[in-house]
Amino acid sequence: MNVQVGDSIPDWVMESVRPERMRTMAAILRDPNPVHWDRKAVAALPFGIGERTINQGPLGLSYMLNMLMGWTGPTSVRRVTVRFPKVVLDGDHVTAGGRVTAIREEDGVRLADCDIWLAREGESPSLEGTATVALPES
Amino acid sequence: MADIQPPVEEIRALVGHEFPGGKYTVAHWENFLLTECTGSEPLPDGLVHPVVLFHMPILGANTSIGGMFALGQAESDFSIGIESYDWEIERPLHEDVEYTVTGRVTEADRMEGPRRNDRPGVYDRIQFRFELHEPGGDFAASSTITWTYRRSAA
Repeated sequence: MNVQVGDSIPDWVMESVRPERMRTMAAILRDPNPVHWDRKAVAALPFGIGERTINQGPLGLSYMLNMLMGWTGPTSVRRVTVRFPKVVLDGDHVTAGGRVTAIREEDGVRLADCDIWLAREGESPSLEGTATVALPES
Repeated sequence: MADIQPPVEEIRALVGHEFPGGKYTVAHWENFLLTECTGSEPLPDGLVHPVVLFHMPILGANTSIGGMFALGQAESDFSIGIESYDWEIERPLHEDVEYTVTGRVTEADRMEGPRRNDRPGVYDRIQFRFELHEPGGDFAASSTITWTYRRSAA
């Protein structure tokens, strides 16, 4: 796989963050926090979000993982480190993107270090961080 | 910060706290539903979607999200914020494999300043690290979770 520093990673798009997926996720995670499944609880918070549930942090991170796996394969991800400057809400249209910052070799495996992000169109990232993936040989 | 509860000494004393630890096996149904939530098609060859690295280590270490809120004496579910997640994958995870899980608190301290989506104030920053090992003992993956617990004055 021919990858150069500065290359962009193909975008991965979540057309609309769905509240029912947050509910399933909350059950799988045994996550008691109602911000992920109770719109009225969110509306009562002093954040001005309105009646929209807040996507679980790991779900937003998963869109970035889908982007990476779509680019270099399902077993390629070696590390992700992500911070959460803003929340993602139900109904949001978000795009995961990334850019290669370094290419290196470790134990005979070619690795790409990347900056990665997840953002609503025209806005600063809701999630941002770094990732390392193993590059396919061909 | 004198009137903030719990006392900062109780927060700092969390460093080194170990969860009981245990085993966790991801079943096909769990991986299927989890992967669907991400908007992805199922991965090939019984691969578990790496987003599992959030909840699997927590539950496998015999704690829970609610238990971690309680350990940090969260004022409410709404008082928790995410600072960062750091996941390392040495070996891809597979369905129906029993992983051994350990977990502990690695950092805990009181901070003051702005927090994500929140007004400036006092909060406690607590970091948890979980490790997963394959049945043969080889290291498979780790998850480092850093949360903030907002505090209000008494």
